[in-house]
Amino acid sequence: MASDIMKKKTVSPSAQDRITRRRILHHAAHGFGGLALTAMLSSESRTKAAETGSGAKLTVLHRPAKAKRVVQLFMSGAASHLDTFDYKPFLEKNNGKESDFGEPIEAFQNGLGPWLKSPWKFRPYGESGKYLSDIVAPLGECVDDMAFVHSVVGKTGVHSQATYLQATGFQRPGFPGMGNWISYALGSMNENLPSFVVMPDRRGFGSNGTKNWSSAFLPAQHQGTLIRPGTDQPIRDLFAAKNDYVTDASEASARGILKQLNEQHAAERQFDTRLEARIRSYELAARMQLAAPDALDLSREPKHILKMYGLDHGRDTFDEKINEVEETDYFGRKCLTARRLLERGVRFVQIWSGNDNSFPRRNWDSHENIERDHGPLALGMSRGAAALIKDLKQRGMLDDTIVLWTTEFGRLPSSQGGTGRDHNPFVFTNWLAGGGIKGGTTYGPSDQWGYKPLDRSNPTQVYDIHATILDLLGIDHTQLTVRHDGIDRRLTDVHGHVVEELKS
Amino acid sequence: MKPSMKSWSFSIITIALACTGGTADADPTELFDQVGSILSRRCITCHSDQDAMGGLSLSTKEAFLSGGDSGSAIDAAQPLDSLLLEMISGPSPEMPKDADALREEEVALIRQWLAAGAKWPADKRLEAQQVTDLNWWSLKPLHAVAIPEPNPSDAAWIRTPIDAFVIHKLREQDLEPSAEANRRTLIRRLCFDLVGLPPTPERVEAFINDSRSDAYERLVDELLESPHYGERWARHWLDVVHYGDTHGYDKDKLRPNAWPYRDYVIRSFNSDRPYSRFVQEQLAGDVLWPNTIDGIEATGFISAGPWDFIGHAEVPEEKLDGQVARNLDRDDMVTSTMNTFASTTVQCARCHNHKFDPVTQKHYYSLQAVFAALDRADQEYDRDPQVAEERSRLRDRLSELESARQQLEQSVREQAGEELVRIDSALKELDAQEQKDNRADFGYHSQIESKQDVVKWVQVDLGESQQITEIILVGAHDNFNNIGAGFGFPVRYRVDASNDAEFSDDVTRLVDFTDQDVANPGTAPQTFSFDPIETRYLRVTATKLATRSSDYIFALGELLALNAETKNVAAAAKVTALDSIEAPARWQKANLVDGFYSGATDSPEGLSQRVDLNRQRSDLLKKSVDPKTTQQLDDNQQQLAKLQEKIKLLPARDRVYTGTVHSGGGAFRGRGHLGGKPRDIHVLVRGEITQPGDAVGPGTIPIIADSDWRFDLPSDHSEGERRVALANWLVRHDNPLTWRSIVNRIWLYHFGRGIVDSPNDFGRMGQLPTHPELLDWLAIWFRDQGQSIKDLHRMLVNSATYRQRSDYRQDFHEIDASNRYLWRMNRRALEAEVIRDSVLSISGKLRPEMYGPGFRDFVLERPEHSPHYEYHKHDPTDVATHRRSVYRFLVRSQQQPFMQTLDCADPSQSVAKRDTTITAIQALTLMNNKFMVQMADDFAIRLETADESPSEQIRSAYALAIQRSPSPEEVELLTKLAEEHGMANACRVVFNLNEFLFID
Repeated sequence: MASDIMKKKTVSPSAQDRITRRRILHHAAHGFGGLALTAMLSSESRTKAAETGSGAKLTVLHRPAKAKRVVQLFMSGAASHLDTFDYKPFLEKNNGKESDFGEPIEAFQNGLGPWLKSPWKFRPYGESGKYLSDIVAPLGECVDDMAFVHSVVGKTGVHSQATYLQATGFQRPGFPGMGNWISYALGSMNENLPSFVVMPDRRGFGSNGTKNWSSAFLPAQHQGTLIRPGTDQPIRDLFAAKNDYVTDASEASARGILKQLNEQHAAERQFDTRLEARIRSYELAARMQLAAPDALDLSREPKHILKMYGLDHGRDTFDEKINEVEETDYFGRKCLTARRLLERGVRFVQIWSGNDNSFPRRNWDSHENIERDHGPLALGMSRGAAALIKDLKQRGMLDDTIVLWTTEFGRLPSSQGGTGRDHNPFVFTNWLAGGGIKGGTTYGPSDQWGYKPLDRSNPTQVYDIHATILDLLGIDHTQLTVRHDGIDRRLTDVHGHVVEELKS
Repeated sequence: MKPSMKSWSFSIITIALACTGGTADADPTELFDQVGSILSRRCITCHSDQDAMGGLSLSTKEAFLSGGDSGSAIDAAQPLDSLLLEMISGPSPEMPKDADALREEEVALIRQWLAAGAKWPADKRLEAQQVTDLNWWSLKPLHAVAIPEPNPSDAAWIRTPIDAFVIHKLREQDLEPSAEANRRTLIRRLCFDLVGLPPTPERVEAFINDSRSDAYERLVDELLESPHYGERWARHWLDVVHYGDTHGYDKDKLRPNAWPYRDYVIRSFNSDRPYSRFVQEQLAGDVLWPNTIDGIEATGFISAGPWDFIGHAEVPEEKLDGQVARNLDRDDMVTSTMNTFASTTVQCARCHNHKFDPVTQKHYYSLQAVFAALDRADQEYDRDPQVAEERSRLRDRLSELESARQQLEQSVREQAGEELVRIDSALKELDAQEQKDNRADFGYHSQIESKQDVVKWVQVDLGESQQITEIILVGAHDNFNNIGAGFGFPVRYRVDASNDAEFSDDVTRLVDFTDQDVANPGTAPQTFSFDPIETRYLRVTATKLATRSSDYIFALGELLALNAETKNVAAAAKVTALDSIEAPARWQKANLVDGFYSGATDSPEGLSQRVDLNRQRSDLLKKSVDPKTTQQLDDNQQQLAKLQEKIKLLPARDRVYTGTVHSGGGAFRGRGHLGGKPRDIHVLVRGEITQPGDAVGPGTIPIIADSDWRFDLPSDHSEGERRVALANWLVRHDNPLTWRSIVNRIWLYHFGRGIVDSPNDFGRMGQLPTHPELLDWLAIWFRDQGQSIKDLHRMLVNSATYRQRSDYRQDFHEIDASNRYLWRMNRRALEAEVIRDSVLSISGKLRPEMYGPGFRDFVLERPEHSPHYEYHKHDPTDVATHRRSVYRFLVRSQQQPFMQTLDCADPSQSVAKRDTTITAIQALTLMNNKFMVQMADDFAIRLETADESPSEQIRSAYALAIQRSPSPEEVELLTKLAEEHGMANACRVVFNLNEFLFID
């Protein structure tokens, strides 16, 4: 419940008017349904603050922006901080000894075995000397551009609620994700492509499925658009479904007639902007048909770039067992596609690694065996992520593109069933890079075990990460609100502080 | 800078504050009143006696003076150096945490108060601020409203009383109504509005040519009598109650028995159920009208929303995560009830008192108490009334026999004396132990097979060859598919012993049931004794698997191998198996020998104890009970067995997913095992499960003056009485919200905008009514005239207001652009369901079957674990899916992309009013989606079958889709397209016409 609004005792008549107007704008009733799109269309000739795009809620940014695009890498199933980015010599020394957290602890599956060291070695990288484990070693070349936050805490060890929390800032369904909010606030930089693109894991969706990027109470054009690179139909319904009657010629002719008939209809019904907006939506759709395949065509990339993303393996089939070549291919392909989309003006790209729970495991939820799942998943992820950071950098795009790596929670420093780890919502790691982020930073250490933040009274929450990203985009997170069922909702609920230490 | 949480440390101030003196220019009491108001608005939520964060409470003078963890809040010697002031002032003050800083004048007041000696009258206690003011339009009692007297010149325009209200407002605004629309427009408007389908060309012609003066009203009546009416209007209701056919959250498992509630809603609209009955049934139909189908199915309302499967089924209520999940679950029930029926956003008060409406945390949690015994789960009932009656008759007979049996047993006890009491109490103790040991580590579970005769084995390694004399197998217990005890126990099996891990030689067969089916023993231990044998490995081989749902498995709870000293030598042995699903904690090989199983006692001795006691019991009865009693007992037992057999032969009971007292196993036990006793509900400070405050009983919000918000129920009331109390409170004659809420909802769906355009929120954060008198008049009329929704429809659609044209007028547009005063009808976009149903209907493909399980327009993959809903694999020619969209199986995690793109309701949230958007993705979907492409082809075939010439076909297409004849130019354009590229291309254009997708 948004505290800033809650402070007002009553809603003044002028506030009522504003609400009414906002309702009309967003809920698009009574002849204004096309406003979102008409605004978008009129933007072609419009002069506006350069930072925000067409269809943007904000016409003027709250503060100067350092970034204008975001890529979010989401590890579904809960990636272990202890086996990747958060080095714990304590566990190496005490491996196998009875675990003692100094307080009673409630594990999700009662998995509280002895201390368990990571199966991988950690080595220092870059000028910052950041220790990374061998399965994320490809990111070693990027550490001086990255900022690690090791004190992120969640609220629950239940995947679904925790995924909602990290994706939308709320533990329950029914709220827009960060990408939806940013698309809503800043609009599109290329009207021929969606402003918010989601690339799911090829094996399926993570917890909560598409709800993590659905627009909820924001207008539907801010919904995440699914793109599945390397599949038969990367964008749904971009072209006519299989049939025996649509040809290029029929399509051209049908479009022309449709336009003519709809224009005639609209001419008899003046002032209804929705009708005009629908006519224009078909033109926009046609442009998207040209722009999207071009954006997704990786064959135009030179060999050295394909190699960089690990797409030079020359194989079209993979082993049945989870393996790093396959993981690299899928994650790298999404990262390269992301770069091409960002280049063309897509505002927010969300890439998922790992699907929901299934057997055999194909996600980060390594209750049974860290080595088996985390090994290939992390290697694939880190090759793709490192290539993306380096590629953005060499094109000068890293300066205004934020890369965020996150997951729904971490894993415990104690073992479960000998070689696995149970859930740890009490601390985990995020990292950020690019767009106004101070490289070579390690912020908010976790305690010696990686069980909780070292400074327990000063944890980092998802609200703080979200607030910081919005801040870098020029948005005050307390000012970006939408009224829904009597409450002024925002991405950061009633919380959130910009983490200044992460900013360059 | 991110503020660190500076902690207030505890210390006692010994200096009397009054000594510090102060300025003379302000009255100290008045100053405190102002400061107190600031503190209770901005600080008390986190710093009160109930919840003293950082150790600091500001509830009383004493608490304030004693300070917090980091010291005294006040520096008596240097009041302007007080920690309190330091915390709240400066460029980025540390407090209030997570909120805006205090305003400068507020800080100044506090500074002044401190400087003046921080006077705090002893009797003043600061409480969290709450709203008590009922002076708000929606909370005022409904009082009779007079229908406005129209200007004489307007009298002729008025058709129903609502017109008098509308024209009165129009005249106030210098507006006037638009002319009546033509009949073609009206029939199209009425059909889409009331039944959600286009009229046939014949019906259109008949209406246009109907010269009777009441042709319009007749059409309205006809449409309201159509069964399609209920299908159309149920969909609106389902939007509000966020109905879905899967659980949502992680895994998003199917909820296969939700649909009877959807059918109940359709039936309710079609049979025009009085609204108060509709409300009462949905909250407490099972209590108020027990054993009625409507009464049971209606409570699907309570369970309609999402459910956190993992948070309930895998995390027990004893754990914090389990409690959080259950708290959020009740929150959804409370929110849905109060938003739906009372248009009040009580959910704001979960973490703190509502800042605008008179809802405190106490009121909110008293609403949680109403639902505190419930969970979302399947409930068994008989959908066929005859079967229900027969079952009830047999049950009566059963209870007669059972009471006769009790009498006989009493006689047995008298005859057998103390000895029997001793044996029975010993057995009872064993049972109690068994209850205690029920755990969620079920046992071993093989991979799932589609054939029953697949052979599976699991074996234990005793570590070394050793002597054993007895094997005990115990079935597993899992409520999946309501199987329960004996889950996965093989129908045919054998047990072998060998010293060879591969069992290739030296095999001794200890148990063999491979040539006969064995009845499932549930979790009763299966004991097999034999001559001592030396063995290292024991293998259980299933040769005929157990049925799970439509597939087969082998599961086993526990295997014990006893030696001559009855020591279980298999405990914690190494377990291997042909295959295993390994889904800890419930299923894993190691669970087979973990000592936990249904009926496990501290030791294997417990098992033999039970066997022994049973033997003693039968010996005792034989020698001490007279033969006549024994005979009667036998007869009774036979009759009982026969009767039970008869009951078994009744058709299997149906299931409906409802809000109900659940009796389950594992982590998800519900309250059934406690006889449905509601959970204790406490106010949760800041909504935190770890910070329970005062306990609360059932109640509601205090909005009816002179009426207690707490429900007055006897101390031994059942949980059901709580729901009845809430339902009855909602339908009270003097409830100011209920009647306004429902008439406003119906109005919204007819006019595209509510009189109050925030239908779920009539509070201070909601919208104001555009026509408050009209709303009240309608609410009272509806409440007092039979609460018939169909009469309400007639009142609205028969009005002159509704019959207006939808054309814009520049001059009126400038006065009232959003048409709040209804100077014209609103042009409306068709909703997703209406588009899909109409496309099916126009293409001649719509199937009329009503009711029953939802059709699935996706391919379901991997349902056993995390279901995948593969919409792109669905075949659009599958006729099973050519039914009305209200029967669509609604998946929460992945909405059907076609419907979602067209703004269908999201089943994870209450949708009081749909968004209507216009996007390029919609254009792509309407042109290219396989459903649309297929239907355009079917539409073309329909046209080509009926008419010879392409131009005639185009004329028919227009009549079917947009209810008018095309102009010669339109015929020419589309005919040319059809002739050059095929009729399907022309049909595809027709489906994309704005004229099809909007109702004038």
